[in-house]
Amino acid sequence: MKPKKKNKGALAALPLYIFTLVFVLGPLLYMLALSFMTRAETWGVVPEFTLENYANIFQPVYLSTFWESIKLAALSTVLVVLIGYPFGYFMAKLTAKWKKRTMMLLMIPFWTSSLLRLYGWIIIFRAGGVLDSVLMSLHITSGPLKLLYTYPAVVVGMVYALVPFMIFAVYSSAEKLDFSLVEAARDLGATPFKAFWTVSLKLTLPGLLSGVVLTFVPSMGLFFIADILGGNKVVLVGSLIQEQLLKAHNWPFAAALSVALLLLTTLLLFLYRKAAGVKDLEGLV
Amino acid sequence: MKKIIALFLMVLVCVGAFAGCSGGSGGNGELVLYTWEGMFPQEVLDGFTEETGISINYANFDYDETMLARLEAAQGGEYDLVLADDYIIETVIQEGLAQKLDTSKLENWGSINPLYQGQFYDPADEYTVPYGAGVQTIVYDPEVVGGELTGYADLWDPALAGNVGLIANYRVINGMALKVLGKSYNVEEAADIQAAGQKLLELAPNVRLIKDDNLQDDLISGEVGAAVMYTSQATLALTTRPDLKVVFPEEGIGFGIMASFIPSKAPNPEAAYKFIDYILQPDVAAQCFEFLGYYCTNKDAEEKISEEVRPYLTLPDSFSKEDMEMIENISAEAMEEHEKVWTEFKAACE
Repeated sequence: MKPKKKNKGALAALPLYIFTLVFVLGPLLYMLALSFMTRAETWGVVPEFTLENYANIFQPVYLSTFWESIKLAALSTVLVVLIGYPFGYFMAKLTAKWKKRTMMLLMIPFWTSSLLRLYGWIIIFRAGGVLDSVLMSLHITSGPLKLLYTYPAVVVGMVYALVPFMIFAVYSSAEKLDFSLVEAARDLGATPFKAFWTVSLKLTLPGLLSGVVLTFVPSMGLFFIADILGGNKVVLVGSLIQEQLLKAHNWPFAAALSVALLLLTTLLLFLYRKAAGVKDLEGLV
Repeated sequence: MKKIIALFLMVLVCVGAFAGCSGGSGGNGELVLYTWEGMFPQEVLDGFTEETGISINYANFDYDETMLARLEAAQGGEYDLVLADDYIIETVIQEGLAQKLDTSKLENWGSINPLYQGQFYDPADEYTVPYGAGVQTIVYDPEVVGGELTGYADLWDPALAGNVGLIANYRVINGMALKVLGKSYNVEEAADIQAAGQKLLELAPNVRLIKDDNLQDDLISGEVGAAVMYTSQATLALTTRPDLKVVFPEEGIGFGIMASFIPSKAPNPEAAYKFIDYILQPDVAAQCFEFLGYYCTNKDAEEKISEEVRPYLTLPDSFSKEDMEMIENISAEAMEEHEKVWTEFKAACE
């Protein structure tokens, strides 16, 4: 972001501005307008102003989908931090050769569609599936566990999908960390834990926080994981929007829900910026 | 996203317009058939072209609503024959986008099973010819269930805890609870729908999954012991695992029909008549229903369907119209009540 030198750049970026206006701002405005319209008796909408769609969100049944989404996102984020932070931190300490190799291993799964990888989890979790056969042949369990279509299966799917983003964010932060500072702290008598707590963690905090944002915000929208691995029983805002749009054909309500979700994530991003005191997401720019 | 869809639809409309043009320039020898993908076996389509010399231009839609929008845009023109679901046809007829049939042009009109005629979307059978029917049944594994199921109420049995699969269609599933309470699928009163919702909450502990796509796989693999499924899924499950059993629920069965109609300004209605009559021939119809896996609406075709699949594609003779009820369009308020009840139910299943 260098505002002074933008003359030539602005012209080159013109297509991008047009693209953003047409395909981002346009649809957003359309969605906003739609959210104030009235649902037609059979199909579509009629342009009659109403606030009912927003009022509907406050019915307990729909409000609880927001709570359910936040709960799942929070749980997934905590687990992602516990797994992703140490991974990213120690990855930054590897030699250059191993850093490259580890990075490669992290990237390879992205060559396959995330939906296909989710179906892989179905094969693992389903009754008599991979996990069941392994546990049963080791005589740890005696019958099928029936893990598929349960809440834990959904959490595993979420953590699996999001952990790489945490690793990348923490890694890019930890890589910039000058480990001689940690050594200095140790020389001055700090225990390994204290050195980590006062030096390493403080310095990698921006990475950790941007990892949290990168995990928490998308996990509010990753409803298809809950649908596929949870058997549609965990109702998140995303699944509700999808259902209202495609099945119930209640477009205005779906639009109102989307606007509410958008406001919620904007609020979260705002809080993040307040808390972290940074403007850009570390590891993303 | 909306814009993208709009753009996509625009492209579709353009393509459709060109298809229309080619139809016009090709003379009378073309039938523009508009329906979902894969509704007829290729041999039947080829057989029709061979017999009549009329080529078929097969146009697809994904959702009934897309069809309605396209037909509205074309003002009832462009297509010669449309095959779609009952509830949308009601709207099509109300909007005057379908033309009355001259049944004297249909030699095989008498073959249609009257059970599927005179329904809400076309009470006097003036506009439509039924094709496949979807009948809601329960399919179960007798070994897992450990007994016989006779109706929807049996799904509430605590012995089935965590063993029931349901399709993600709230009119069907809420309707199932309405049926257990002795009500109609099409009640409008909020109190009745809420009562059905309360009844469904009692079912929640038994529900293992709710999904529309390939629910039969979970029954076949033993993930669930009993499932309320779409007809095509039930057929797939039963042909894969003949030890599974199908129940026509004693509370009465709900069903839907896909039917064909000729749009009001069809460019080539004669071709449409010829096609309808062609697929109404009992042996051709039998071929179609075996391919489609939906219930056979052609009385004379029933005996031509192979014995292996006949039990899954035809209703027992004991069925009369009183045992069956179609899912009809209801008011937007009632729909919203259904959606609310449905969301509450899903959230309660864990």
